[in-house]
Amino acid sequence: MEQLTWSGSFGAFLNPLMLVSVVIFIAGFIANTVLTIAGVRAGELEFSGDGTVSVSRTPLDYALMTMKYAVLLFVLCCLGYIVGGLVLPTTEAKGILGAMALRLLPVWIALITTFALSIYFKRKLGLYGKLFDSPIGMAGFALVMFWVFAAVFSGIFPLVPTHGAIDLISGMRNELPGMAIATPDEGEYPFYLLGGDNLGRDVFSRVFFGAADVLAITPVATLFAFMVGITLGLPAGYFGGTLDTVLTFIANLALAFPVILLFFLLVTPEIVAAGVPQYMSMVLFLFPIIFLVVLFNSRFHTDPTRRNIYVGIAAVVGFWAYFSLISNADDGDLPLIFRIWPEYLDGFDIAGNLLIVFVSVVFVNSPTVFRIVRGITLDVKTRDYVAAAQTRGEGPWYIMLWEILPNARGPLIVDFCLRIGYTTILLGTLGFFGLGVSPESPDWGSTINEGRRLLTIYPHPALPPALALMSLVLGLNLLADGLREESLKD
Amino acid sequence: MRDFTDGSADTGMTTHPVAEMYAAEHKAGKLDRREFLVRSTALGLSAAAAYSLIGASPALADGHRAVPAAGGTLRIQSEVRALKDPRTYDWSQMANVTRGFLEYLIQYNNDGTFEGVLLESWEANDDATVYTLNLRQGITWNNGDAFTAEDVAANVTGWCDSTVEGNSMATRMGGLVDADTGVIREGGVEIVDDYTVRVTFPAPDITLVPGLADYPAAVQHRDFIGTNPADHGVGTGAYEITEYEVGVQATLSRKEGHTYWRDTYLDELVFVDLGQDPAAWFAGAEADEFDMTYETVGEFVDLFDAIGWNRTEVITAATVVVRPNQNNAPYDDVRVRRAIQMAVDNEVCMVLGINGQGVVAENHHVCPIHPEYAELPPLVHDPAGAQALLEESGHADFEFELVSIDDDYRKNTTDAVAAQLRDAGFNVTRTIIPGSTFWNDWTTYPFSSTNWNHRELGVQVLNLAYRSGVPWNESGFANEEFDTLLTEANGIVDADARRVVMARLEAIMQEEGVTLQPYWRSLFNHTRPGVVNGHMHTKFEINVHYLGFEA
Amino acid sequence: MGAFILRRTGVMILTALCLTLVVFFLTNLFPNLEKLAKTQGNARMSDAEVVSWLDRNGYGGPMLVRYGEWLGVMPGWTREDAETGVITGRCIDFGMDAADAPVRCGLLQGDLGFSTVSDEDVGNVLPRRLMLTLKLMAYAFGLMVPAALLIGVLAGMREGSRLDRTLSTLSIASTATPEYVSGVIFIVLFASTTAGVSGMLTEWGWLGDGGWLGDRRTLFLGSARSAMTDITFWNFTLPVTTIALYGMGYIARMTRASMAEVMTAQYIRTARLKGVSFRNIVLKHALRNALIAPFTVIMLQFPWLLTGVVIVETLFNYNGFGWTMVQAASNNDIELLLACSIVAVFVVLLTQLISDIGYVFLNPRIRIS
Repeated sequence: MEQLTWSGSFGAFLNPLMLVSVVIFIAGFIANTVLTIAGVRAGELEFSGDGTVSVSRTPLDYALMTMKYAVLLFVLCCLGYIVGGLVLPTTEAKGILGAMALRLLPVWIALITTFALSIYFKRKLGLYGKLFDSPIGMAGFALVMFWVFAAVFSGIFPLVPTHGAIDLISGMRNELPGMAIATPDEGEYPFYLLGGDNLGRDVFSRVFFGAADVLAITPVATLFAFMVGITLGLPAGYFGGTLDTVLTFIANLALAFPVILLFFLLVTPEIVAAGVPQYMSMVLFLFPIIFLVVLFNSRFHTDPTRRNIYVGIAAVVGFWAYFSLISNADDGDLPLIFRIWPEYLDGFDIAGNLLIVFVSVVFVNSPTVFRIVRGITLDVKTRDYVAAAQTRGEGPWYIMLWEILPNARGPLIVDFCLRIGYTTILLGTLGFFGLGVSPESPDWGSTINEGRRLLTIYPHPALPPALALMSLVLGLNLLADGLREESLKD
Repeated sequence: MRDFTDGSADTGMTTHPVAEMYAAEHKAGKLDRREFLVRSTALGLSAAAAYSLIGASPALADGHRAVPAAGGTLRIQSEVRALKDPRTYDWSQMANVTRGFLEYLIQYNNDGTFEGVLLESWEANDDATVYTLNLRQGITWNNGDAFTAEDVAANVTGWCDSTVEGNSMATRMGGLVDADTGVIREGGVEIVDDYTVRVTFPAPDITLVPGLADYPAAVQHRDFIGTNPADHGVGTGAYEITEYEVGVQATLSRKEGHTYWRDTYLDELVFVDLGQDPAAWFAGAEADEFDMTYETVGEFVDLFDAIGWNRTEVITAATVVVRPNQNNAPYDDVRVRRAIQMAVDNEVCMVLGINGQGVVAENHHVCPIHPEYAELPPLVHDPAGAQALLEESGHADFEFELVSIDDDYRKNTTDAVAAQLRDAGFNVTRTIIPGSTFWNDWTTYPFSSTNWNHRELGVQVLNLAYRSGVPWNESGFANEEFDTLLTEANGIVDADARRVVMARLEAIMQEEGVTLQPYWRSLFNHTRPGVVNGHMHTKFEINVHYLGFEA
Repeated sequence: MGAFILRRTGVMILTALCLTLVVFFLTNLFPNLEKLAKTQGNARMSDAEVVSWLDRNGYGGPMLVRYGEWLGVMPGWTREDAETGVITGRCIDFGMDAADAPVRCGLLQGDLGFSTVSDEDVGNVLPRRLMLTLKLMAYAFGLMVPAALLIGVLAGMREGSRLDRTLSTLSIASTATPEYVSGVIFIVLFASTTAGVSGMLTEWGWLGDGGWLGDRRTLFLGSARSAMTDITFWNFTLPVTTIALYGMGYIARMTRASMAEVMTAQYIRTARLKGVSFRNIVLKHALRNALIAPFTVIMLQFPWLLTGVVIVETLFNYNGFGWTMVQAASNNDIELLLACSIVAVFVVLLTQLISDIGYVFLNPRIRIS
């Protein structure tokens, strides 16, 4: 079999068309800039005396219009590749883009379904629904959901990747995108769509397995950081006093630490060997349990039966997960305290390196969340409804968790989106310094770091994960922007 | 008495048919001289041999090194690490800087020969227990003292002091160290006259000479044993350190007022530290920050070629072994071990593991560049036969766990072995252990890979790793015939005589399926066009006294 | 005001103390000391040798006592060799007589200690490296701040316009591109002889021998090493741009938000109604007020840039502060690392202080109690 072309057989007319659209766009852009500098203003609505409205068109408007249509043409061409991938019979005819589009079919379906449903029901969906009024928010949401679905259809249902994340084929070392496998096994996908890396692994598959890795770690780590930050930030802001002073000092202490130095100190094998991540997780992972228990307790304390059920479930599940997480009876090197939890109750073990990366990321993010939550609490606690709740005789935890927190959700959700992006970058930074999750892990930071060494001759292993990381973070930022805009309209 | 210096240093290696073809092309005018030299030396010819092929007489200093023009500043990309007592050096880079003023008794050459530096010559008696070292006369230290037998004796005594933490020379001195006191045994070293020193071993030992040529064996002034050379700067070499910033750069300048005992060319040398990332070295080369690399690795060999730098290559006996440990079932069954060997094509391991930059090996851990190497019939790659043998042994369902360190070429090689074993019907899982913990149990993993450095003699590694019960015997190999033959070989000073015994030792290694040893690594470096004598050295040595620029 | 600064200084010192204690604790865990012994002694030392090396070099005592020694509140350790009778100690320099040595030598005495990885006093190493990073930061700020403010003001003066959308998306994209991505892409594009634009320029004769852009082979240099002695446009552009780009987006967005807010303020509306030209409104009325918020952000940007500096210095081989920190951390160079963290802490807290004070000066409505 031959090497695939990028665009397949549709490329014959789509490629020139795309080129034309780019040229038109550039021409329009230049015209636009020149005209603006020359002082031409855009046309305005004119109200004529007889009550009709007419729009006057200036050359600038035409320039802008051309640009708009060029973009439209470009998007149509892109759609053409995707459609081509779906309808054309052979992989050769589909080309790399078409073949990738076909592999991503489950993602497209999920994405279209999500958008169709969301837009249809958007009036009933609160802040989430309002997102679909903002083009920026929608674009961000589309990017984020693309990666979320891609991660789901790679990590949980491996439909997208064509090969295994660590399967290597010796002949495919550093091969270019679209290269056919010399002697494919029965049922094996016969191409490396985005080429092979320096170990002969499929770059396309690794990018999507990497998405699963990244999206398995970062949102959860961010969520944990939020739980820690909220559990400490609410009382600090609400009660004030010595508690506030002490907690703020500790938070500032952690913030004064350069992130990178902290990572170097925490993520080295020596520290892992000393059991430091275990001790840290012992402290940090206690907060989510406290958070949930207090949450349910304060809500249902008037209804002891329900309270006992909820709090009981939260505590049992929480502590089971907690001990499973921090204990690892198999690892003889750990201090005794982490090995007493019986093996038959140990639901899962997390490798030392993953745990330390996770803990460090939580640790770095928590103080900032703490500061945000504290700030908002200070602001919100002066509101009337808080005073009303106090007069009603509600307990402080009820007020904090069920009065203040829901009213702080806007900025917190926005920050949550931004923070996931930041955490993704942070994870990549760790990979860049070789402190990443695991050596064979397809996570984007590690792949970029591996690929950058040979970037000048083989750009194809490093660029896809780099672009993936950029697009996800961009999506999260745009989403946050859209959410902020819409929540401000409340 | 046999003279070790009587080697093939002057004649170089035997010629190569392709090199002869190149020579004919050169004579016919199809190949210019530099191109011819590059190609033929890349085939393994020494420069001297290459020159002699085309009948040219290059300007050679002492028979086998080209003579550069005098003057100039050469910049070498190399890590600059904090210096310390030379006995405790653990990086060749430290020695490369101090080699500018701390010289060695003996140096090891790429063609496998030893050459005296501070020694004029040396002899061993027939059972290799008594060595007589004859010093070169007329050498002075840069503080004005003469270099005498007293210096050598003081250094040998210092090397044998195993009470100094991290003194790696103590292990190289072998039987000279008294096991009880931890220092040199009584009468181990004697001063015969001003320029003769005698070293006496309790048992035959042929590894003294390689030990003296190794990089921690820098010769210090008798009064400065055990000190950091950066603090005093006293040495016999032509240079002195004028700038030393760890991790950034080091500068060697010619020492004023000191007469060096032979010719040297450069005025100044700069060691430029660009970290450990080859991508950064390449960026530095493109930004014209140095003239010569310490080592070029992997794909960067091609990259440096592409920007017009001259490549030099040296085949070494550095290797990776993927060995089953015979103390664990099912590796105690010779059929399983043989099946592993038959299932793996060593060439594939080399291509995937080290980008094909090496020479295929034959699973017996004796390298063609070892003087006593004996050639055996080629190995057979037979996956079907391997599967049959595995089934015959009754371990076809066994899950083979293959362990490796988390590191580029060792990991890649092990991955390649695992993939080939799977193809031959083995059920293999891979485990990768980070470098910090891997070495804690490296000798006891049931099936794992280990890298072994270059050693000058074939018997050295066999003694270290395959003799029954030695600490580094990671394959758990215990074979009486092998041990007896090895002891015999250790007492044979002459390489040709030793080769007869070696042939049998190598054969035992293969028959018993002791280890899978797929390739010998080649080492590369690059020099900017115009640099002379910047050839890669088997043991990463850079002798600054030889370097220079073309006239 | 004076009391405020005094209190902040007190907090700063307390923070620095706590942080150095944490760093001291982490670097003095036994596995880390073992690493130190093996890098300083010999990589193949046995366990017993490691213990003896640590003991001989003063790492044997209780951790808190040694922290006190480093601070200079406890007397430095001394140790007499059982055989030779030579006294070595923390405060006894090479070749110094034990009797002449001071009893305490630590931070309080102005002695930052000895860097094991550089084999030099920390007091010698650190200022040199800091100077280099200061230069890098100065250039990066010089590029980043004006560019970011310009983008932010342009975007914010007509909120929701096409210009605003374009510039906002660009600044979001710049915050979504971490240094290790942009730096790598820059190197490929501009500093590689085989890929990117340099090969083309060489072919055209613009680069290489006799080229009017210089006799280099690449347009920009992918290694900033030569910039350590002599900064030129060609060797410093890539590292500076890489740092500036990531931080630029954030400042630009803050400026935009602030500008947009100011533009909707009453007094601007009044000015517009009075017929003041748009240009004058922006330059004379809005700008000053719109820059208060970005100022604090810019100051707080300093510590945040530190991570970027570490990546860029590593990527471009520029041996400044960030690079030193990585070296110190990966070699477990305890005293150098402690000094680095003090510097880092003071940078963070000092910028916070400046940002607070500056905020007061710029905004007359706020008074510090």
